[in-house]
Amino acid sequence: MAGATMTRQFGPGLAARRRAATAWRHVDIALVVSVLTCVSLGLVMIYSSTRTRLAEQGTDPAFYLKRQAAFVVVGVVVMAVTALVDYRVLQNRAPLVYGAMVLALLAVLSPLGVERKGQQASFELAGFQLQPSELAKVGLIVVLAAYGSLHGADLNWERVGVAVGLAAVPVALIYLQPDLGTSLVFLVILLGILLVAGAKGRHLLALLALGVVPVVAVVQLNVLQDYQLDRLTSFLDPQNDTRRAAYNLNQSKTAIGSGGVLGKGLFAGTQTNLSYVPEQHTDFIFTAVGEQLGLVGSGLLLAVYGLLAWRVWRAAALARDLFGSLICVGVLSMFVFQVFENVGMTMGIMPITGIPLPFLSYGGSSTLAAFAAVGLVLNVRMRRFA
Amino acid sequence: MSTNAHVRLSVIAVVVVGLFSAMFARLWYLQVLDSNSFIAAASANEIRFVHTEAPRGEIRDRRGRPLVVNKRVEAITVDLAVLAGHPDRNEVLGRLATLLEIGRPELDKRLADLRHSRFRPVPVAEAVPEHKVTYLAEHRTDFPGVQSAIIAQRSYPNGSIASHLLGYVLEISAEKLQERKAEGYRLGDAIGQSGIELVHERDLRGVAGVTKLQVDAKGRVLSTLDHQPPVAGHDVHLTIDLEVQRLAEESLLQGLEVARGLRDNEEGRPFVAPAGAVVVLDPSDGSVLAMASYPTYDPSEFVAGLPPERYRELVDDTKGAALTNRAIQSGYAPGSTFKLVTAAAATERGMVDPRTTITDRGSFTIPSCRGEQCTKRNAGGAAYGSVNLSRSLTVSSDVYFYDLGARFWLEKGVEDGMQDTAKAYGLGSRTGISLPSERPGLIPDPDLKKRRHAENPVAFPEGTWQTGDSVNMAIGQGDVLVTPLQLASTYATFGNGGSVFRPRVAARVVDRQGNTVREEPAAKVRTVEVSPAVDEAIRDGLRGVVADREGTARTAFAGYSAMSVAGKTGTAQVTSKQDSAIFAAFAPVNAPRYAIAVVMEESGFGGAVAAPVARRIFEGVGGQQPGSVFAGDGFD
Repeated sequence: MAGATMTRQFGPGLAARRRAATAWRHVDIALVVSVLTCVSLGLVMIYSSTRTRLAEQGTDPAFYLKRQAAFVVVGVVVMAVTALVDYRVLQNRAPLVYGAMVLALLAVLSPLGVERKGQQASFELAGFQLQPSELAKVGLIVVLAAYGSLHGADLNWERVGVAVGLAAVPVALIYLQPDLGTSLVFLVILLGILLVAGAKGRHLLALLALGVVPVVAVVQLNVLQDYQLDRLTSFLDPQNDTRRAAYNLNQSKTAIGSGGVLGKGLFAGTQTNLSYVPEQHTDFIFTAVGEQLGLVGSGLLLAVYGLLAWRVWRAAALARDLFGSLICVGVLSMFVFQVFENVGMTMGIMPITGIPLPFLSYGGSSTLAAFAAVGLVLNVRMRRFA
Repeated sequence: MSTNAHVRLSVIAVVVVGLFSAMFARLWYLQVLDSNSFIAAASANEIRFVHTEAPRGEIRDRRGRPLVVNKRVEAITVDLAVLAGHPDRNEVLGRLATLLEIGRPELDKRLADLRHSRFRPVPVAEAVPEHKVTYLAEHRTDFPGVQSAIIAQRSYPNGSIASHLLGYVLEISAEKLQERKAEGYRLGDAIGQSGIELVHERDLRGVAGVTKLQVDAKGRVLSTLDHQPPVAGHDVHLTIDLEVQRLAEESLLQGLEVARGLRDNEEGRPFVAPAGAVVVLDPSDGSVLAMASYPTYDPSEFVAGLPPERYRELVDDTKGAALTNRAIQSGYAPGSTFKLVTAAAATERGMVDPRTTITDRGSFTIPSCRGEQCTKRNAGGAAYGSVNLSRSLTVSSDVYFYDLGARFWLEKGVEDGMQDTAKAYGLGSRTGISLPSERPGLIPDPDLKKRRHAENPVAFPEGTWQTGDSVNMAIGQGDVLVTPLQLASTYATFGNGGSVFRPRVAARVVDRQGNTVREEPAAKVRTVEVSPAVDEAIRDGLRGVVADREGTARTAFAGYSAMSVAGKTGTAQVTSKQDSAIFAAFAPVNAPRYAIAVVMEESGFGGAVAAPVARRIFEGVGGQQPGSVFAGDGFD
């Protein structure tokens, strides 16, 4: 087991085991509970969104439910393992992580990867699709945190440039798949880590001008004019044809809006149970929550995400070193952006891009990546005294 | 960690709180502030209504015999839901088009027809021959989604009998749909266009069935949420007697054929006899027993939708205007049949005692009038000598009535006498029968003449009422116009002792279970007072028309042995046309059960061709085997 070998490198086993045992006492229960709450709700909503269609096709109505449950079990194990091994071992091995990440992203573009829905984004493994770009998010967090902590509070143009360059390679590879949404997540992670690592205001402004301004412009226009939104999002994301995008957005807003305060009741959503909303068990899962559980359910879900964000932010603040702190900031940036982009998209305040809702959307790679990210945060927090 | 890092973390916290606030705000807007519009949109998404037209009510005669029913015909339908996802869709439609012999573009057009809900099989062909239906049944696997279904069509078991009265139905037009949308009409619905079908549309139509379906995003039906079966329309039972109606139509047709074999006296041309009408009333309550109009049309022509050129033909005056119900929609000069009104008017006003005789020398000169036009002669130039009221009617002495007509205008206090009595009998205004487009006819008076002249001096060069106008009116000429129904009603009124009824054609409305929903009772409008002495004199005179050896319809009724008849012949001059033949009568004389008016355009003397038509009808209803119509030799 990888963990065992790494511990041995850090010296006598007994002391390390004692430290680890002490560390487990500082596990953030609130964070774990908020994550488990999200995945539980996710399982219910995935079942609700897919069972009718599956039953009609004559297959097991719990097909997606069972698969996602398996991902969750594996995810919890991944989270535990990620939390177990002291995160500081990663600081020196960041180049290794980076190399593996870039290699995987290159490989997926080669004939080794498979094309689905117009995206060359995954490997096919025993009936499961592994998307390296999802795991690469966590990889980039580690790499940028390690680089940032190396030059902590002393970032100049050159070092900011190197950080941007580090992020640019995977972003470019992912953009080639093409997957605009995930590329955006990488940029946001870069931005968050650079901010806390000590980048000056001018550095960040330059970065914004470079990459984020066009995105913000899209968002702004989006709020103002529907047809402009359609045109711009289809420009940004050629996979979406404009009429389909407008239809999807309309149905998505209708689903959430018609849920009202109390919702239509679990399994009683006409929009989400009758296939009016597309991709409802993956990218548009929030519409199922909004329609069936109403403002109460979707508001509570956002509150749980808020709790999760607060616990991650708290871990960043409590971390014993800048590396740990930056890891948490990266994870925080990733989660908050994904939640805001995904939920905002279903409500019509963000452009439609294919970003999953962490812990809610169906999908193996994204679920595993999210659990791994939370594992890192748990790791940083429980070792704040060690 | 440094303080600096903590400050930077705070910036992140602010951004995160901002983003979450934005999401909550948007969620609040969608789910609370604007929720209702989304609820409406979601339900419009999900719910579809499919309407099923109700079976239209039937129309039956007074004894319940069917006049209009619904025929069940084989139709071929295509279920688009089945075909949509089928790999052989194109081949199947190709095969179907070949089988139905309609060609693929036509089939596609019918499938795309907006009148049909796409959640129900779409009918693509109606009245399909049985062998093709059988072929489809035997080759079911070659035609997925194609089915045969039974649909209801309007059907007329008696052919064109009573077609004017019954009317016809057509698919609702775009304009009418706009007008009547509130009543629940939808594209493709049938709606009554004329006759009983139009007047009793609300009774006959029924209530469409509604099926509320839940559908998914692909339009697949998931479940039936609600189903209200259609409620069949009510049946309408008429006062019409199918046998009398058939008798009237046959007799009219025969009469017109007889007329075409005769020649007019002026130029010796055969009579055109293009059109005519017969009305048979029950004088005891104004019920219409028969109402015939010729030329006629076949209402089944309308079932599959009438081509526009055929419709234009049916309403074209130069081609007979077959859709016109002449019994109520055409006004005719009544000729001598009007003398009943003149006689009643004069005697009731004491202008003449029924026993008083005048000497008929064959001509009458209008007082204080000079010129050729001032002297008028009896038809055929006959001179009847000593004539009292009864005999004047029996022989149809014009001179007797010319004299009365002149006196109406020249004597004090009786100027409007003829008009008042005519109007009391219901002439000059609509009878109020519940059939569409009834004409009021016309009873002229000095005011009308003045008004017409003022409005159009070219067409009406004379604006002043003169003695000659009253003289003409007395014998039912001039501008007097009556509908055949008004004429029958006038004779029915005199026959029953003076009760004017609003003629009725529908007796009651009956639901599918046979329960009466509504009676359409007889309605007495007013009473026309006739003193017994006058009544007897007129009745005698009218009886003499058919029974006396001097009667103008004597030969027409030769050998007649059914119930006693009181009638009056009429021969009306029409500008630039041959004379109209008219006969009006009631029977039995003292307690009439039938009143008949026969009007035949350009057919000659009433006594020659119209009276024989009435005779044949009286034979039929009076229990005598009706013979063929033959020409009489009356001069009026």
